[in-house]
Amino acid sequence: MEVRDKLNRIFQEVFKDSVIQIKPETTANNIDGWDSFSHITLIVAIETRFNIKFTQKELLGFRNVGDLIKSIESKIAP
Amino acid sequence: MLFNSLSFTLFFIVVFFLYLVLKCKWQNRVLLLASCIFYAAWDWKFLSLIFISISTDYFCSIAIRGSDNEKIKKWLLILSIAVNLSILGLFKYFNFFSANLTQLINLFGFSVQPYTINIILPIGISFYTFKTMSYTIDVYTGKIEPARNYLDYALFVIFFPLLLAGPIMRAGDLLPQIASPRKLSLNKFYEGSYLIFWGLFQKIFIADNLAKIVNLIFGSKPPYEGVEVLITIYAFAFQIFCDFAGYSNIARGLGKCMGFDIMVNFNLPYFATNPQDFWQRWHISLSNWFRDYLYYPIALRMRK
Repeated sequence: MEVRDKLNRIFQEVFKDSVIQIKPETTANNIDGWDSFSHITLIVAIETRFNIKFTQKELLGFRNVGDLIKSIESKIAP
Repeated sequence: MLFNSLSFTLFFIVVFFLYLVLKCKWQNRVLLLASCIFYAAWDWKFLSLIFISISTDYFCSIAIRGSDNEKIKKWLLILSIAVNLSILGLFKYFNFFSANLTQLINLFGFSVQPYTINIILPIGISFYTFKTMSYTIDVYTGKIEPARNYLDYALFVIFFPLLLAGPIMRAGDLLPQIASPRKLSLNKFYEGSYLIFWGLFQKIFIADNLAKIVNLIFGSKPPYEGVEVLITIYAFAFQIFCDFAGYSNIARGLGKCMGFDIMVNFNLPYFATNPQDFWQRWHISLSNWFRDYLYYPIALRMRK
């Protein structure tokens, strides 16, 4: 849940919308302004804030926010 | 066999009747056979080419999923992409590049004859190549599971409503619809018929009639009147739109009648407010394809 909250704040900042509430099944279609440019900004913001690095293959395999959260959790787990 | 031909109408009536009386597994076989006949009606020789693509991606994907070795997975992906792009490059772009290269060399004062090969373009080749490539890439990145049934996968690639002019459906959206029984209803049949007739109207009535005006000017030599050119340019814009969107609508309608959900490929593109918006509305499946399989791999690699 912690990851999801932190991720939600990043979403709100990147898309400049304080009412965004992400869900595991959220995709780019559900969020205004989530286009191919802001997607790159979003990924870079997530990597910086969680201090992690996604592989190319992981990035291309995300189907929704749920996949993204799972990947972040697997990387920050001790 | 174009969608707006009598032969296609008869073809579809027969296929649809068989489809209605059979169960899912046999429906798929009828559709696969029908798609092969549909393709062979253009040129039966290229049927082998499409099955080379189908087999390459089918077996590469299963091998990718089955392997634990990252290196082997990557090489299998490269193999699949190489086969697909070689076929596409040879048949679609070889003469184009050859002719342009010759022109370039001749610019520098050399005299070279263009080396072109005498082949006709296998119809629909870009559409099915993009489809099979996206499938293998999606299996590689873990977005989807590979198809286990060869015949289902073959149908995904060669499915006749989408074969000539798309939309370029993704395996993640279309394969599950092929693998499990479709629900048919009278409502879907009405909706599908509406799309088919609307598409036919766009193609036959609007596009083909505008083509007559357009060809009058495009086919003649200068001088032109300003007004003629203005009218022709606008007419051409609506001709290509109605031609392509009409075809996409027919494809969606044919799918809908048989219980398939085919994605929307045109969303009022001429109402776009900027070029970015336009490409999100025109031939959406192609724009998305380039975004996911060309732009993202490059942009994500170069991030920071």
